[in-house]
Amino acid sequence: MSHEHDHGHDFPPMSSVKRWFVTTNHKDIGILYTVTALFFLLLGGALAMLMRVQLWSPLWNVLGEGAYNQAVSAHGLLMVFWFISPFAFGFANYIIPLQIGADDLAFPRLNAMSYWAYLFSGLLFIVSFFQGGSFSGGWTMYAPLNVPTFMPNVGGTTVVLALIMFVAAVTMGSVNFLTTMYRMRAEGLRMRDLPMFSMSILLTVWMMLFAFAALLAALIILGADHVFGTTYFTSDGGTLLWTHLFWFFGHPEVYIVFFPALGIMAECFQTFTGQRLVGRKWFVLAMVLVALQSFVVWMHHMFLTGINLEIKTLFMVTTIGISLPFDLMVFSLIYTMIKGRIRFTTPFLFSLGALILFIVGGITGVFLGAVVLDYEFRGTYWVVAHFHYVMVGGATGLFAGIYYWFPKMTGRMYDEFLGKLHFATYFVGFNLLYFPMFVAWETPRRVFAYAPGLSSWHQVATVGGFILGLSFLVMFYNLFKSIATGEEVGDNPWEYSTTAEWAVSSPPPLENFPGVPSYEGGKLSFRDEHEAAADGGASTAADGGTADASTATGSGGVATGGGALATAESALASQATAEPEHADHASYWPVVVCFAGFLAFLGISGVRNGGFYYGLTAAGGVLAAVGFVGMAQESFHVPEPTVAEQWPFGGVENMKLGMWMFLGSDVVLFGGFIGSYLFLRVANGWQHWHHLIPEDHVVLPGLLNTYLLLTSSFAVVLALVAAHKRSRLGVVASLGLTWVLGVGFLANKAIEWLHLFHIHSEAFPNGWEVGTNVASSTFYLTTGLHGAHVIVGLIMILYMIPRAWKGAYLDDDSSLEYFGLYWHFVDIVWLFLFPLFYIL
Amino acid sequence: MPVSGGGLAAEVALAGAGGIRAPAEVFNSIFVVFLGLGTLVGTVVIAYTLYNAYKYRYREDRDPAPDLDRPELGELPESGGKGKKLFLSFGLSAVIVLSLIVWTYGTLLYVENRPAEAAQEGTEILDVHVEGYQFGWNFTYPNGHTTGTLRVPANRMVNLTVTSRDVFHNFGIPELRVKSDAIPGQTTNAWFVAEEPTEYTANCYELCGRGHSYMDAEVVVMEPEAFEEWYASTNGTAANGTASESGDESHSDLEEAARP
Repeated sequence: MSHEHDHGHDFPPMSSVKRWFVTTNHKDIGILYTVTALFFLLLGGALAMLMRVQLWSPLWNVLGEGAYNQAVSAHGLLMVFWFISPFAFGFANYIIPLQIGADDLAFPRLNAMSYWAYLFSGLLFIVSFFQGGSFSGGWTMYAPLNVPTFMPNVGGTTVVLALIMFVAAVTMGSVNFLTTMYRMRAEGLRMRDLPMFSMSILLTVWMMLFAFAALLAALIILGADHVFGTTYFTSDGGTLLWTHLFWFFGHPEVYIVFFPALGIMAECFQTFTGQRLVGRKWFVLAMVLVALQSFVVWMHHMFLTGINLEIKTLFMVTTIGISLPFDLMVFSLIYTMIKGRIRFTTPFLFSLGALILFIVGGITGVFLGAVVLDYEFRGTYWVVAHFHYVMVGGATGLFAGIYYWFPKMTGRMYDEFLGKLHFATYFVGFNLLYFPMFVAWETPRRVFAYAPGLSSWHQVATVGGFILGLSFLVMFYNLFKSIATGEEVGDNPWEYSTTAEWAVSSPPPLENFPGVPSYEGGKLSFRDEHEAAADGGASTAADGGTADASTATGSGGVATGGGALATAESALASQATAEPEHADHASYWPVVVCFAGFLAFLGISGVRNGGFYYGLTAAGGVLAAVGFVGMAQESFHVPEPTVAEQWPFGGVENMKLGMWMFLGSDVVLFGGFIGSYLFLRVANGWQHWHHLIPEDHVVLPGLLNTYLLLTSSFAVVLALVAAHKRSRLGVVASLGLTWVLGVGFLANKAIEWLHLFHIHSEAFPNGWEVGTNVASSTFYLTTGLHGAHVIVGLIMILYMIPRAWKGAYLDDDSSLEYFGLYWHFVDIVWLFLFPLFYIL
Repeated sequence: MPVSGGGLAAEVALAGAGGIRAPAEVFNSIFVVFLGLGTLVGTVVIAYTLYNAYKYRYREDRDPAPDLDRPELGELPESGGKGKKLFLSFGLSAVIVLSLIVWTYGTLLYVENRPAEAAQEGTEILDVHVEGYQFGWNFTYPNGHTTGTLRVPANRMVNLTVTSRDVFHNFGIPELRVKSDAIPGQTTNAWFVAEEPTEYTANCYELCGRGHSYMDAEVVVMEPEAFEEWYASTNGTAANGTASESGDESHSDLEEAARP
């Protein structure tokens, strides 16, 4: 532990404010996530209280129409996006590296970026209230109410942008967790051996990676409708397009929210019953099935939109299909109690409570699976009550988590009596709040002027809501008090816990483990670093790697299976000291970049109004540029683990795997755009579409650009070849050629666009601009998104050329390779866009 | 399939006009069964959960399975036994859920296909075109008459064609169990049979803007003769009592509220 400080690292102590701005350590970030999420819980909760006051009587009008709709929308968005998942990811950040035996996440700075993007996106949301009112179209944001025609206030745009920033945070987090969990597990810990919480997060981030990319497509399109004046959601078919995009994301989101809670419940059931999870293998398999199926049930949110009977039947079947694995999970948890030694601690009570609430939520969900019943439940409090039983039921599992891991995170025990008091008030309040909603189910959702006969049930709900809200005062008091004066705990306060976080001190030291964690002997042990490194090296030193016990990096490189790929930096580091290398934990740049993003998005929200907002956008852009350059220049070293279980990605370095994951989500993003184009084209008449496009829109510029991009891909390959041949000039020249071709692509596109903007044909007397019609909107936005990818690539090349000049890629061409992956991907996307937008 | 679906529903006691079983009856009968079974299953499962939680509560002096090796810190995960029991209960629950859904599927086919069948049989059907707008409803009859109050005869099948002029709405009359999305640029269909002459209120079930809470319309179910009389008097004129009889009031309220 003292080792860290010896290295003269300017990593401030936890008591320092500075520490919390610069930290990249997973445990600190975990605490930041947890605290921030609880803040948004209070905000979302306060909005819910306002709604419940308004609903006391159908005759009251406390908030007024506009404010009530804002409260409804902001409550939903804040709770679903800014509270539940980030709260779960507070635990994930803190606990997962400990559970799987990693020192940190694979990309610590990216992790910090992810947190700051999350925080600033939330702040952006808060700002929206002060810009003529926030978004008021419900958390489902149905079109076309969600466009400025119907929601002209700047705040509505700000929320869309805040969501885009939030999705950026989620995507960075997903890539990071996937890379970490596939590449940095303790020796001997197979994927199937992941503890239940880690397993649930693994499946959650897989769903996140793809589901949030679909949401991102929807949000970018919506943002363009707001900012650039495209007409996606106001054209024919636009309304349904939104529902498809939103629910393709929205249904997996339900499991994204619920899975982490399920993981915590499984952990707590095991620990506090002293029994291993019954049918663990089947439990995991059920979760995998749910994660897969979650992407094929979205149309059950659209049974009344006029989709045909065949599709309804199909989605009824998939919906019922996805409910069955949950039956198995519920029974597995129940049977785990049998023959157990159950201790009713606060975390167990919350887990048990969550299970009971989920049973109610699940049964009432089966009602909705029957299409004939769903028709009538649509838009009523039955739906409200059902999804609160499921989602807040899930949050109940997360509150189990905060009590379960509180001793680990703080080193002190919470007050058990107050914990139980919290649970009792919480559980009573919860059921008083949500159960009457089933009884008063005929109340239309998001309406406050409901039928007077139902008001007594709504009054019970309001009372329950306040009890639920007040129960959190008990929790906050307990946590604050216990941090200061709670009884100090040892490594493991819970009998029968099994996972690795309980084998280290509370709170764990900066580097997590006293040695290299290993499960090789069938049980967790900590091995001496040098010995482990030597072992790890020897076992994989097939390519004659230098398995020198004193150079951890050397054998680390070998262990990754790519012996030649040890980075120049790490080679330097291991020459400088024979000691195991240290990791960096501090960087200012993540907060700088995300603050810049905050400014830029805030600026963009009001560019329609010009003036001040232009300044903000520009300031944000400049600061972001400074931030990214600063981050790229910063020497920030994160050693890959010397020995690790890496199946099935043993031969793929962290960066490469991260790039793959990112591109995977990018595929869905472009899929969303292309799907939207096809959907709208069908809705507007496939052939009729040609009438929406001017004669001047010809194939030639597109064809030319296809050649340019293909040639540039070839140039990147040449750069790699040159690097292999150790030709510095060759690398520089090839990169330069790629850059020139890319710029040519953009210049050609600019000429084409300018021409189309200013045509004067009979059909288009005022030019063919972005907002002219649905065809121009899809054309400019989709190819524009691709163009933005090209621009990002060109910026990367600009950064790489000077480095190549200094010979940076001759010994280690991995950066070139990662860039190549990205560039080829961008080219392949064009090969889809070209026929769709120029030929068909 | 459609025929058998209709047949299945027809086995149950028929009511309503010309042997047409109204969606309200279909809904209510299914809902009762679901509610009964749901309560039963929920009670049993939760009671069993609590029973086990209590039975195996920690007692210093009594270990229910002293020979069992309890989980230890740092072990690799493995399953606790009881797999057979797990699959038995899972199978049972799956059977309950699946049979419920298969059963309701017949009624879905009935609800979906009944209007077409009724038309074939030559049953008299009233077609009404419903258009939602911020914030009210317009009803247009086959003769072109447009009004803000939905008047229908008792005991006749009413087929609604629903759309929207501006944003996404949802038209629903809760007591008649009829509901349909009102989507701009396209139409959806729903049907109902009202049995008694009485008055209902139709609501909007999709958040559609400031006036969403007040976006309702009167629904008047009339004696068939009275309806015919009224309908003849409209004479296809869209002028008298048009636009939004019921919507007017809330509309002006809102405009007032919208002013700073």
